[in-house]
Amino acid sequence: MPGFDFSNYNRNAALHARGVPLPKATSTGTTIVGCIFEGGVVIAADTRATSGPIVADKNCEKLHYISPNIWCAGAGTAADTEFTTALISSQLELHSLSTGRKPRVVTCMTLLKQHLFRYQGHIGAYLVVAGVDSTGVHLFTVHAHGSTDKLPYVTMGSGSLAAMSVFETQWKAQMTQDEAVKLCSEAILAGIFNDLGSGSNVDVAVITPDKTTLKRNYIKPNERTQKLKSYKFARGTTAVLNEKIIRKEDLGNFVSVQEIHVAEPGDKMEVDV
Amino acid sequence: MEFGTSGSLSEDGIHIDMDRLKKGEVNLGTSIMAVAFKDGVILGADSRTTTGAYIANRVTDKLTRVHDTIWCCRSGSAADTQAVADIVQYQLGLFAMMNGKPPTTQTAAAIFQEICYSNKDRLSAGLIIAGWDERHGGQVYAIPLGGSLHKQPYSIGGSGSTYIYGFCDSNWKENMEEAEAVDFVKEALKEAIKWDGSSGGVIRMVVLTAKGADRHLYLPDTDYKVRHT
Amino acid sequence: MFPELSPGPQLLPGPRRSPKADTGALATHQTSIGTGYDLANSIFSPDGRNFQVEYAVKAVENGGTSIGIRCKDGVVLAVEKVITSKLLKQSANKRIATVDRHLGVVYSGMVPDGRHFVDRSRDEARAWRDTFKTPIPTADLASRMGGYMQAYTLYQSVRPFGITAIVGGFDSELEAPVDGEVGNGPSVGAGGKNPDKKYGGPFLYMIEPSGLYWGYYGAATGKGRQAAKAELEKLDLAGTGALTLEEAVKEAARIIYVAHDDSKDKEFELEMSWISGAGGPTKGKHQEVPKALREEAERLAKKSLQDDDDEDEEKKEDDKMEE
Repeated sequence: MPGFDFSNYNRNAALHARGVPLPKATSTGTTIVGCIFEGGVVIAADTRATSGPIVADKNCEKLHYISPNIWCAGAGTAADTEFTTALISSQLELHSLSTGRKPRVVTCMTLLKQHLFRYQGHIGAYLVVAGVDSTGVHLFTVHAHGSTDKLPYVTMGSGSLAAMSVFETQWKAQMTQDEAVKLCSEAILAGIFNDLGSGSNVDVAVITPDKTTLKRNYIKPNERTQKLKSYKFARGTTAVLNEKIIRKEDLGNFVSVQEIHVAEPGDKMEVDV
Repeated sequence: MEFGTSGSLSEDGIHIDMDRLKKGEVNLGTSIMAVAFKDGVILGADSRTTTGAYIANRVTDKLTRVHDTIWCCRSGSAADTQAVADIVQYQLGLFAMMNGKPPTTQTAAAIFQEICYSNKDRLSAGLIIAGWDERHGGQVYAIPLGGSLHKQPYSIGGSGSTYIYGFCDSNWKENMEEAEAVDFVKEALKEAIKWDGSSGGVIRMVVLTAKGADRHLYLPDTDYKVRHT
Repeated sequence: MFPELSPGPQLLPGPRRSPKADTGALATHQTSIGTGYDLANSIFSPDGRNFQVEYAVKAVENGGTSIGIRCKDGVVLAVEKVITSKLLKQSANKRIATVDRHLGVVYSGMVPDGRHFVDRSRDEARAWRDTFKTPIPTADLASRMGGYMQAYTLYQSVRPFGITAIVGGFDSELEAPVDGEVGNGPSVGAGGKNPDKKYGGPFLYMIEPSGLYWGYYGAATGKGRQAAKAELEKLDLAGTGALTLEEAVKEAARIIYVAHDDSKDKEFELEMSWISGAGGPTKGKHQEVPKALREEAERLAKKSLQDDDDEDEEKKEDDKMEE
């Protein structure tokens, strides 16, 4: 049977009862946002991936491809957002091939919510779904438990509060594309600077009926600069107490050496004629 | 044996902490209601959706269509109630096609109840089903947490409803005119929003009569006085 | 494919080989034996007939007469139960079955097939109640069972039903509650409904072995169907001055007696059931007609037959006198 195995749940609960802390899932403290404008939709994300208190990746990609006209921004468990979006992308492409129509954003949102609801929140994917289809411009959020919302501007992840404060003060109806891109990136910057779980750069994707533009590292507010001083240790900082040299011919005294014959150079594969 | 609220291992097995399982779930801490009146039925709701202390959506639409003139008010888990409403919408659509006539509110209520009762230990959904059909007119059914089915002249639900039992009891009248019923719903929800921290935002309504579904929207900016759609 | 279906090559469908067929007997109706098209279900003959279904109809035509009457305030079902043995207990071995509180079924033809039809009807009625928490409308039961019987004309592994069934029911004209609901709506009743429109009422359907079904005012099947139909057509069932339920019971008894051929047929027992609305004698339920009423109806039926005979004899005498 495909699917998840929850049998370790009881073991973990038992260990927890005896004082062992429960293992923590790797989750991406994140800021992701989305905003509709006149004639399209923008989504944006920061690029920090964390593993507990450690920054696991300083420049990861949180904007996921679903179809040419539909993209997702993902927060929550990194693996879950990655695989869930990949799975739904695949299903949508097959659906699109069999119907001979371009995929719709509601279809994508429905597939996502039904998949996530089936797993009762154990798949920790929190997504912003955005796209343009034959019925118009759409923007949704999908929570891990399977609930969805349809709004003109949305934020998710640990930095969503900071980002929402930007939207709530600066958003207006009927924005241009440039205004929407600016607003979204400012919302992400608010997350990067005010939320510990978010950081590094701003990724932006703009979807219009004609094309999708992915602006990778649209803003890099945290560029690493040259160190003012050199912190290399000078030669001789560590004292040499003794020295012993083993020559190559004598290597056999310490380890067993076996010559391996290589027939041909390169790595040709055997092929049936 | 006391059943605590945290995970623990005792002689009689493991007790699962429901609060922890549902952590981070989006909840509709809510004020919802439905009222039967002279020509049909009115549904009303606030628009607040929360995750813990954070308002995940301040303009939520908790009034969900399951057929042309059969709607429901959702309270409890957003994911659960959306999933249940989606299933019922599908079933009623199928019913209408197969029978060549629209389903009755009874049919809708029966399908809702079957889902809510048979999955009672998996769902946190408090629903009010209200609909109009030619044969039975406007009707209100409530399905609270356990999955029982209650036919009522009017129904209130969600966390905010506790504050308006008195108001509704003394102000509700049988056989109200439409404008009167809209006012009753609006005033009740205004009180619920005022006293309940988990309720707020705009007031949404749907009026179901022989003429179909008519949507209302009232904003706090104008003290819910002006109808916007 | 075909050789596997037929027992021998001489029975293969194809060029007609029997001398009989060559004489053109096959082109007319009836004779089709020996062509191979009558050996299996789900095979059409070249002129578009399914012989297995037609043979099933023959089985029905040999069965005791069943009739159904739909009048303005209810439905009556009646059957001529042929007594196959003197050892059978009187009024035991019922032939009319209750499928749901408001639904009755009677059938002519192969009794075991009819029993299975009834079992399946009960399953359908129960399944409908489980999903919709409300009784199944008569039309929906007829539709489900029509579909079920049709399925038995499609497959090699089964044969068609050897029955024609008559389904009678009374769909509640009241507002039916959802099973298991508690509480009430407003005491003034629900608002916004159309007060002039009426719902529910008596319904009657007849389903044939092919799966074909229609709604009827009066339905008859089995041995005496021709005579029964002729009698049913004389009744004013569709009109406004329609029969009352009690009159319909008496008519039903009379028609079964008329349809019975004393000279050819064995003795029979009359079984009758009826269904009225909530305000009528059965309170919306399908029930056996009370013994007293049935006996009265039988007495009148016999009397009517007697009168007819006397009339005939009188006529004959008249004729004689004219001679």
